[in-house]
Amino acid sequence: MDPLVAAASVLAAALAVGLAAIGPGIGQGNASGQAVEGIARQPEAEGKIRGTLLLTLAFMESLTIYGLVISLVLLFANPFAG
Amino acid sequence: MSDSSHESTTVATDSSQVDSQGETPKESMQDYYSLQKELYVVTLTTTAIIFVSVWISYNLNTGLNYLLGACTGVVYLRMLAKNVEQLGQQNRRLSKSRFAVFIGLIILATQLSQLQVLPIFLGFLTYKVALLYQMVRALMPSDPR
Repeated sequence: MDPLVAAASVLAAALAVGLAAIGPGIGQGNASGQAVEGIARQPEAEGKIRGTLLLTLAFMESLTIYGLVISLVLLFANPFAG
Repeated sequence: MSDSSHESTTVATDSSQVDSQGETPKESMQDYYSLQKELYVVTLTTTAIIFVSVWISYNLNTGLNYLLGACTGVVYLRMLAKNVEQLGQQNRRLSKSRFAVFIGLIILATQLSQLQVLPIFLGFLTYKVALLYQMVRALMPSDPR
């Protein structure tokens, strides 16, 4: 593989997973914190709050997974490797 | 003074354990378990339908690749559900160990010539169908009136 392509791929992989984790990380932190606060305030609604949290976290985490896939493909199955 | 503070603590604890409808936190967790069960059932049903469709449309190898991804997706969803269940009780933060399953699968798919990345990745995303189904169901009004 061309060293320039290899270096660019590694940089792109790092940026892809790093940038893709920022937004969902902040969102998941906020959502989890609020959910735990809600459960402490209303323990009788624990099941519903946890259910909503599960769906929300799954949606948010898929954004991180997209970045992860891009970086893994760039590292292990690079389409630009001649 | 210590007696009154003890009394107020007892009252607060009692009111947190049983709500106005007599539902305790343990009973309310049944909602969560039934949601989890529904998610698994919808995911597995969708997986079975898509697996057969892919087998007919493409070939068995692609179908099995899809099935591998979908099964990993179910494992991932189960790990996430367990994490959410333990959040605030045993764990104070969400663990990231479930990503290891996905990373391992993708690395395996890129290294082995029999495996293809795209069907595995699309199979992994099958659990999102169940999530979308649940979201649409939650948005629908339960009472038509």
